[in-house]
Amino acid sequence: MQAIRTMTALAALFALGSAAQAATEAEGLAEVKAFTLEHNAALIAEAQKMQATAEGYAAIIDAHGGDYAKAWEAEGPKLATAVKDLRAHWLAASNQYETIEGIVAGIPSTAKYDLILDAGNPGTEAEDVAEYDLTLPDGTVLERPGSLFHSITEPLFWGTDEAHVKQAADLDGDGQTGRGEVLFDANLAVGAARGMVEWATALETDMKAWEPNRDDAFTAVVTMTPTVGDYFGEWKESQFLGGDSAAFVAQSRLVDVTGIMSGCERMYRSAISPVVAADDPALDSSISGGFEELLALIADTRGREEQGDTFSPEEADALGAEAQDLAERIVAQVLQAAAKHGVDIKS
Amino acid sequence: MKTQFRYHIRPLALAALAAAAGLGLYAALAPAPQPTGVALAAVPYYSLPFGPDETGEDRPFWPSRMQSATGRMTDPARLPSSAECGSCHRTEFEEWAGSLHAAADRDLIYEATVDANVDLLRHGAEQGRFCEGCHAPGEMLAGRVTRHVAVPPADALTEGVSCIACHTATHADPVEGNGALTLAYDRAEAERDGPQGAALLADPRAHLAAYGAPDTTKLLAGSEICGACHTEAYDLSMSRAETRQDVQSTFVEWRDSWYARNGVTCQDCHMADDPAAQVMALREGRLDKPARYSHRFIGANHVMTDTSLGDTLSVLRGGLLPGVDRDLNQATLAEQARQTTEFLRTAAGLELRGTTATAEGLHVELAVQNLGAGHNLPTGVNDQKHMWLEIHLTDATGAEIFRSGGDAERLGVEDPQAVAWLEHFLDNKGQRITGHLTFATARVEWVRKPIPPRGEELVGYDIPLPPDAQGPFRLTAQLHYRVALPDLIYQNLRRTLPVPSFTLAELSADLPEQAR
Repeated sequence: MQAIRTMTALAALFALGSAAQAATEAEGLAEVKAFTLEHNAALIAEAQKMQATAEGYAAIIDAHGGDYAKAWEAEGPKLATAVKDLRAHWLAASNQYETIEGIVAGIPSTAKYDLILDAGNPGTEAEDVAEYDLTLPDGTVLERPGSLFHSITEPLFWGTDEAHVKQAADLDGDGQTGRGEVLFDANLAVGAARGMVEWATALETDMKAWEPNRDDAFTAVVTMTPTVGDYFGEWKESQFLGGDSAAFVAQSRLVDVTGIMSGCERMYRSAISPVVAADDPALDSSISGGFEELLALIADTRGREEQGDTFSPEEADALGAEAQDLAERIVAQVLQAAAKHGVDIKS
Repeated sequence: MKTQFRYHIRPLALAALAAAAGLGLYAALAPAPQPTGVALAAVPYYSLPFGPDETGEDRPFWPSRMQSATGRMTDPARLPSSAECGSCHRTEFEEWAGSLHAAADRDLIYEATVDANVDLLRHGAEQGRFCEGCHAPGEMLAGRVTRHVAVPPADALTEGVSCIACHTATHADPVEGNGALTLAYDRAEAERDGPQGAALLADPRAHLAAYGAPDTTKLLAGSEICGACHTEAYDLSMSRAETRQDVQSTFVEWRDSWYARNGVTCQDCHMADDPAAQVMALREGRLDKPARYSHRFIGANHVMTDTSLGDTLSVLRGGLLPGVDRDLNQATLAEQARQTTEFLRTAAGLELRGTTATAEGLHVELAVQNLGAGHNLPTGVNDQKHMWLEIHLTDATGAEIFRSGGDAERLGVEDPQAVAWLEHFLDNKGQRITGHLTFATARVEWVRKPIPPRGEELVGYDIPLPPDAQGPFRLTAQLHYRVALPDLIYQNLRRTLPVPSFTLAELSADLPEQAR
């Protein structure tokens, strides 16, 4: 089984073109920057899709004079599709951002974007406030409203922001309106999606000016690698618990896991491995082997899923636990190496 | 005798010499005991965002009140997992495997709720120590509850409240709570230098020193060890509460009760081999201790033992524990479910105390009784664990003419009109929090105070009767219990899982004709 996994991982890495080890730390860091910009561009692209979908959603509401009930009655399927697409674009954008969050949050010149996009509180809170105002299409200015992903769009699109729920709606057509089955404020949706594009683009500008360095590379790997357990968890839950996530996730969570972990592995091989291998080849080999094993496990599981295999909950749990265990062992070793080299891991 | 002694003195002396030489050789060749624990400074990137205590000492586990007996962190590679303990203590291991203690750190809803709290703050991972002290003491003491985790995982850390969590405890403060336990994991580490496996039977001294020390043995016999975690209060260390907010006061509820006065401990009911029988005996005033103590820790969470949930239960409990296969898991959970169900049925009672005619209709008075719980009903974290009354009144034709509290079951949501024993968590703007967001909670308010041990509360209903309603009227009442709000699961897990309720008590009565 181990051999099969390793071969599968190597095949996956070959396909992704991510396995090459940089000759020097400087070259590797340049690759990290390129990687970050690549995902930043993907984030902008997803945000633009979110904006286009939100504007389409708003246009339907506007066509009915802003009356959500009438709009639902007349064009329910279109609105349901728009909500579903907004959620899918949100997830895709969030995944792209999560992939580079460790770097963005770790760089002094870009840390503010982490608060604005993903991690900041509204101005009513005492700390970690996202310092920006959001102007909506109708001219309303929301002063320091919190992060675009988690304070605004996530609760809006999933109907937990009750203040902006406009209409209960049977989005999945099962004859009932369950939790989260709502039409929400189109004005806020468009404003927030535009804000997402604006700030993701501003991040790109500052990211292009960033000079990559060792601390940021280590920070990114140790921040992102442990998230494999969360993604595996979501995959498992979508298999066995059903519910909203199962309905809207456009693709298997394992696809996201593959992308993110390949990114982590790429960053390790490119920018960190040259540093670790210089004075502790055994540790470098152990970390590299850990990544190979982790990617093999993910590729193997994804391959089985594509072939139509079904997983028992115990098996899915065991796979998730194994992935998390591997990731945590990798990170523990990377942090040991980081400590040895006096790396400043950004929080 | 003297002659015999003289005759044997030479072989005896040789034997003594050989024994001394053997012991000397053993002492010389035996590996020196390894130092136990790990210095805090040796755990890279372990973050201490809350600063030192008032004496200038580090507080590695704050805002949990958990302490390490030596002041050092623990080396997870040297800790035994409960599965290892189970190789000899099989019955205890199998019982524990079905318990909530075993799932304390794997429970999916718990994990999702911790994540939701952690995401609220930049130092959320470290503030999460408040939760993990009780739910994952091994993870805490190993230094794994921090944003950047440089300590590798180990089986022994995945088992929540595991064998060593209780069996190395040396001190507890059940009034302060918030995990106020001192754990001597160094004893578990040191025990690794003694004989292991079957050899342990030949020389059990190290094992006894680790897990049977007098301070631990004494602590395990009383309620104080339970109270250290089953007492919870919020202040600015882990929430937005500017004054102490008592969130969970199970120990104090017990301490001030008939049960404590009569020497009945937490263990006497929750660890009884037959918990329901034990409670029924106590209800009758019989104070005999259980013949055997079990490690099932039977409690009120009937959902996390509900085998009718099938695969969902396995997922909710975080999968199989180390050393547990599917068959053992199902068997132990089935027994856990059976005992939990029986246990819950011993807790409460409902009585119709009176019916009087009023100008508009009827006034009905019900007594809701705490018959068998040695603490309040409900107890625990009552923003989630709550109970409510559902009553129906029907007329002679069977038509329903009054209902209260029925929406919760019918719609799967909380019924705001029901008579409910429930706490509200409020944020700093006074808005209710339903997702158990401790870190955002500023105030905790009871909607209706819980019922103390051996106490009761009279609940009155003014029931308007339609002019044409004809008796005799029939009243049915049910006292329901639910371990979590559906909102908690939707908000933190993004799922619309049903949270089945449990009927603690019920009654039905034909009301006297003169009531009209």
